[in-house]
Amino acid sequence: MSYVFRQHRLAALLLLMPALLFAAAFLVYPLGNGLWLSLTNASALRPKAKFVGLANYTYLLSTSEFWTVIFNTIVIVGGAIALSTAVGLALALLVNRKLPGVALFRAGIFQIWIVPWISVAILWGWIFNADYGVVNYLLMDVGLIRAPVNWFADTTTARVVIILGFAWRMIPFMMVVSLAALQTIPAEILEAAAVDGAAPMQRFLRITLPILRPMLVTLALLQLVKLFQEITLPWILTQGGPVNATTTLSLYTYKLAFQQWDYGLAASAGTLWLILLSLIALVAVRLTRRRYQ
Amino acid sequence: MTELSHIDRRLHASRIASYVVMAVSLIVLLFPLAWLLATAFKSRGEVFMVPPTWWPRQPTVEPFADAFTPTMLRFFFNSILIAALTAVVSTAIGACAAYAIVRLQHWATNLVLLFFLGSLAFPLPLLMITLYLLLSRLGLIDTYPAVVVGHVILTLPVVIWLLKGFAESLPVEVEEAAYVDGAGVLRIIWLVVLPMMRPGFTAAAIYVFVTSWNEFTFGLTFTTSSDMRPLPAGITLLFLQEFQYQWPQMMAVAATATVPILVLFLAFQKNFVEGVTAGAVKS
Repeated sequence: MSYVFRQHRLAALLLLMPALLFAAAFLVYPLGNGLWLSLTNASALRPKAKFVGLANYTYLLSTSEFWTVIFNTIVIVGGAIALSTAVGLALALLVNRKLPGVALFRAGIFQIWIVPWISVAILWGWIFNADYGVVNYLLMDVGLIRAPVNWFADTTTARVVIILGFAWRMIPFMMVVSLAALQTIPAEILEAAAVDGAAPMQRFLRITLPILRPMLVTLALLQLVKLFQEITLPWILTQGGPVNATTTLSLYTYKLAFQQWDYGLAASAGTLWLILLSLIALVAVRLTRRRYQ
Repeated sequence: MTELSHIDRRLHASRIASYVVMAVSLIVLLFPLAWLLATAFKSRGEVFMVPPTWWPRQPTVEPFADAFTPTMLRFFFNSILIAALTAVVSTAIGACAAYAIVRLQHWATNLVLLFFLGSLAFPLPLLMITLYLLLSRLGLIDTYPAVVVGHVILTLPVVIWLLKGFAESLPVEVEEAAYVDGAGVLRIIWLVVLPMMRPGFTAAAIYVFVTSWNEFTFGLTFTTSSDMRPLPAGITLLFLQEFQYQWPQMMAVAATATVPILVLFLAFQKNFVEGVTAGAVKS
């Protein structure tokens, strides 16, 4: 048996090799080289790169543009996560009852899930169009606004439109995972609380939410990592404007690298992005832990 | 008795309330999709009417005929090819790795798993700089493999994670029994392990296909000629410029871009949810 076992381990090790080689060539090397580039003035427009120390970092951190970008990223990504989590959880609570027709409702919501980001971007450009967009028409019809809003021309409304796009597309996912988490809560606990006279809202705030909190934090972190990378919506809808209001960190870093061809500056922006993500994750994990101690 | 009917009535009322909330949420959330479809079948004159018509008066497929030029068909072809290739490569590498990680159970393999999961947070533009330099040196820029490499980077961690869950549920006793019966390692993996992991492959491949189909930046950066562009990059760089403000045509393309994913969803609903939530939900 032991001989066979050794043979088996050898085979398993061989099976791991493709993934390891792939990681070495396309993850470790690009990340390491990227960190190195952040300390140089490398550029596609410059034949030879020079070591410049932390100059790229001090430059970025001293421009107001960079801080605007950080602010945009936090507002847009944070807003989208908060909104989609709230709606997704609410829909999950709605669906988490044995009512006839619930399957149909879920199937309906799932339709949003299959829409590619590129289609969301094109669609959002149309429904929020200033002259012929249906959103302006509806808002004017019910009297919420008097004149059409030029959504993409104002910094606040442009951000709102992007947040709505992100959130809308993520709602089905948040609903499905919230529902799965809700179904792990034993019905007896909630029934016992109901018998003891706890109102539905009380049961939700005192029992359901605390049980779900660790899962919600994990999900929020997953969405955070994903949305930090997402670039399609701002690229197509606003190109980052007006006046950089919707330039997220990914769009900013991408433009530095592949439009201004400033690899050094882009690499340091990317590194700061990685540091920011790590800090947020650390704080989130700390916060949930303390609540449980 | 009166107590019971009181509870009954309250239950009834809360049911009606639930249905009302469900109906309102469906209308609000699905309205953009309905508007997408309605616009795609409108004529040039009807789309700019104020007040708008809620459903096309004289439905026309002209927007589809206009938008689907040979170039647009090429974008679709490129994206399908890239997504299918990525699904095969990512699932194959990921399946091997997942099985190895589960069977080796070593701190070093756990570290490998942790590294892959952590790599999801690596800023893509940061990786793309070096990848771009590397791929140009290899002469691979503007080829399918360049984009496939990018999409494998995005999906491999999730595939490993997803398939690790499946590999863990495989009974090791079956493999041991096969050893005792004198089967070699390769035969066991081919004849015993692979068939047992098949449902996992479907979920993983769907996840990869959907992610690749959605991906924008790699396709944009690693292709340079319009013949090689995947759909999102092609739409952005050529179609949106050419068809600016021709909303029915734009909606026709946006609607058609969802079709391959819709087909996957309808064909594999259970695996689809499992794959796209990537193991966050065990259905």
